[in-house]
Amino acid sequence: VAAQTVSVERADVQGLVARGYGRLKEARFVLFRIDHPAGARDWLNTLVPMLTSAADEPEYRAVNIAFTASGARKLGLDHDAVGRFALEFRDGMTSPHRSRILGDRGDSGPERWAWGGPGNPEIDAVLLVYGRSKVALAETLGRAAPRHGGVTEIVSLQTATLTALEHFGFHDGISQPAVEGLTPRCAPANTVKVGEFLLGYPNEYGLVPDRALLDSQADPGGLLPRRAGRADLGRNGSYLVLRELVQDVPGFWGFVERAASGGRSEAVRLASKMVGRWPGGAPLVAAPEHDDPTLGDHNDFFYHLADPHGLLCPKGAHVRRSNPRGSLAPEPGSDRSIAIGKRHRILRRGRQFGTWVSPLVPDVDAPRGDDEARGLYFICLNANLARQFEFIQHTWLNNPKFDGLYDDTDPLVSTASTTFTALAEPFRERITGVPSFVTVRGGAYFFLPGIRAVRYLASLE
Amino acid sequence: VSHQVPVTIVAPLPSDAVEPVRAVLRELAAGPFQGSSLIFNGISTVHFARMLVLDEAIDLDGQPLAARLVFISDVDAPLDAYLKELIETCGEVLDRIFDKCEGYPAARTAAARMSFLRAHMIKPAANYVNTVGRTVEQVQHQAELWSAIEDYLDSPDCDLRSMGPLQLHAQIRSYVASQNGLRWSETAPAGPAASIRVREALHRVAVPALLLALLPLLVVGVPVWLLLLRVSELRDKPSDERPGEEHVRKLTALEDHVVQNQFSALGYVKPGLLRRATLSFILWLVDYSTRHVFNRGRLADVTTIHFARWILLDDKKRMLFVSNYDGSLESYMDDFIDKVAWGLNAVFSNGVGYPRTYWLFGGGARHEQDFKDYLRVHQLPTELWYSAYPHLSAVNIFNNAAIRDGLHAQLDEGQARQWLRRL
Repeated sequence: VAAQTVSVERADVQGLVARGYGRLKEARFVLFRIDHPAGARDWLNTLVPMLTSAADEPEYRAVNIAFTASGARKLGLDHDAVGRFALEFRDGMTSPHRSRILGDRGDSGPERWAWGGPGNPEIDAVLLVYGRSKVALAETLGRAAPRHGGVTEIVSLQTATLTALEHFGFHDGISQPAVEGLTPRCAPANTVKVGEFLLGYPNEYGLVPDRALLDSQADPGGLLPRRAGRADLGRNGSYLVLRELVQDVPGFWGFVERAASGGRSEAVRLASKMVGRWPGGAPLVAAPEHDDPTLGDHNDFFYHLADPHGLLCPKGAHVRRSNPRGSLAPEPGSDRSIAIGKRHRILRRGRQFGTWVSPLVPDVDAPRGDDEARGLYFICLNANLARQFEFIQHTWLNNPKFDGLYDDTDPLVSTASTTFTALAEPFRERITGVPSFVTVRGGAYFFLPGIRAVRYLASLE
Repeated sequence: VSHQVPVTIVAPLPSDAVEPVRAVLRELAAGPFQGSSLIFNGISTVHFARMLVLDEAIDLDGQPLAARLVFISDVDAPLDAYLKELIETCGEVLDRIFDKCEGYPAARTAAARMSFLRAHMIKPAANYVNTVGRTVEQVQHQAELWSAIEDYLDSPDCDLRSMGPLQLHAQIRSYVASQNGLRWSETAPAGPAASIRVREALHRVAVPALLLALLPLLVVGVPVWLLLLRVSELRDKPSDERPGEEHVRKLTALEDHVVQNQFSALGYVKPGLLRRATLSFILWLVDYSTRHVFNRGRLADVTTIHFARWILLDDKKRMLFVSNYDGSLESYMDDFIDKVAWGLNAVFSNGVGYPRTYWLFGGGARHEQDFKDYLRVHQLPTELWYSAYPHLSAVNIFNNAAIRDGLHAQLDEGQARQWLRRL
């Protein structure tokens, strides 16, 4: 059977879907509230020509924009039209049930957030600005920022210069799904249908879900693409999740050093067991004994054949539970399980913030226990928030029963204390009372529309 | 000596009693978390229980259907002992709940309550039990055993890490033997009573024998039936109704407080003899397969369901489906679609509005969004819910039983190594 080729309308897709802008090392995410729709629409109209599309390969700067449900309403989308977007998006990230699903409780509860919570100003839009250098970023910000009022800047999230290491000291961002028809080719098990990330295309069920279709009268100017006689506001758009995650780096390394009680190398070994990869990126299933620089970007591997029980890479390790690679029910290691896993993938587009203090990062001499915040502006893209981002968060990361476990949530990113179990011979090693090293400080669900859809929103009255 | 019994009590409720009864249920449901309703806490044989109210309705023929109070529990046999204990320990609570039901006795005696409950008990069309014969006591005991062994492995003063698998297995066994509270583990768990085993064995062969005897009829009948069904499918009108925000909010308020969740859903059976007969026949097959095939830890490919029940109401005009499962509704629905869509289709496609099916088993649940919307639209708030072991997943319970079984078995080295991996 010949593979069906999907033709993606790249010029209409915002660039962040196609790439993380790795060449643009500097970024800032600016969160806005819309005060006057007319002013906001004027701003959008000036912004549209600046938006970076998936057809571009930016070397100097990139600009993208996404809206919350309240933002779409304020721009003039009526109740019925907003109602055609996913319930999770409309409901937002902070409803009590959603907080249970996402694990946002205690110190991570929305009532304590710095932005996006019930006590904070409403967030209507996020402007994502990238530059090759600090100068390029500043210049782009100057051009893209609203000039005539109508919108108020609520928070401006300044990222750290892009590196391959995340704050705990581990090589990050290795595993990303390849998107059929959009990103460079990759092994079939890691290639996912574009409909999992963009609305309006077939997904991993072979379906194009009917979402965000408007009556054609709602778009008299014909700005939006048509589908079955209706105006398709969703096409080429994606749901964008943004969360500010503070990482307690001294807390993490202090804990593993105490728990491993065997000096630095034992601490690194335990930390790597919790992550599922070595600091350099080599997966534990491929490099069980020690880090291997030649495997730093290794991403074409599976758990089931090499390590069905989790002797090499614990079942509860962060990378194994966030991307199980077909190692789960109904038939671990089978095409069927791999196919099911493809319905739970996300494109990760996060950036770090704050200065380095990881003991694993050379040439960093920052004092331990300093109170400057550092962490990740987690960003991901998906077409179905419930089945992709929220499922990964609840059924895999925060689930104490993941893959037969009893009381183990993710040892790295859980927001509550947990147990970490690593299978070993002759019997498992278990660490109870693993504290939480990550605190959620803000978050919101956005929709990253297609570029024609942005133009449509800017044209509303 | 045990097996589990599905108890289904459905009592008519006057329309003016619907909201007051709901208020009573909500009050009784209050606990540290959803699912911890205290009224069942004193009763040692209840696995799961729930109470919910079905609103008044007009059926597809325009006939009014009275509101109902539904009380469902999964209990260990014998049924009589359960009902007696229930009436003894919470007779007055039952009075408060059932008070407004038509025909509830004015005389508040144990005998009167018992005869009311018995009079309103109905037999489900099909019932699923994760592992047939496993009692509440076994589940809880085996969880204690697991916990004790895990703690022992963490004790610092033993040199367990230097032992080989066989030696370690023996060491754990002798530790368990030294604990008075764990002595029960030395005797094998009691299975169902001999009479039940004989009954089940007979049923197991009788059904295939009957089908075999009817084979000539089936050879002629099945193709005709399938064709009629296909014609019916082509005339189906799948619903495009999407769940309302308020409705979903009511449902999600009751979800994801512990690792287990409850699901209750009600729908109309498609009109006409063909669909009603098809549903009855399929549910009969479901019941056979859950009794004899899917009775050891999995329902087809799904390992997260503790108990499930299919109940036909109002002369088979409506069906109520209830289940107790692990994880979120999203993961439950994904399991349905990814692992047992065919099974869901065979049953639920006989319900009005279900996504379009092909030849009974195809399509249907595979229309992801339509199917998820269909389930949410038909889901009812489970106003009161109880679980005897809310912190255990079905997979945990299964593993705990295997730990107990292996603890006292004669194992070779490879088996001992595998057994240790369960810890």
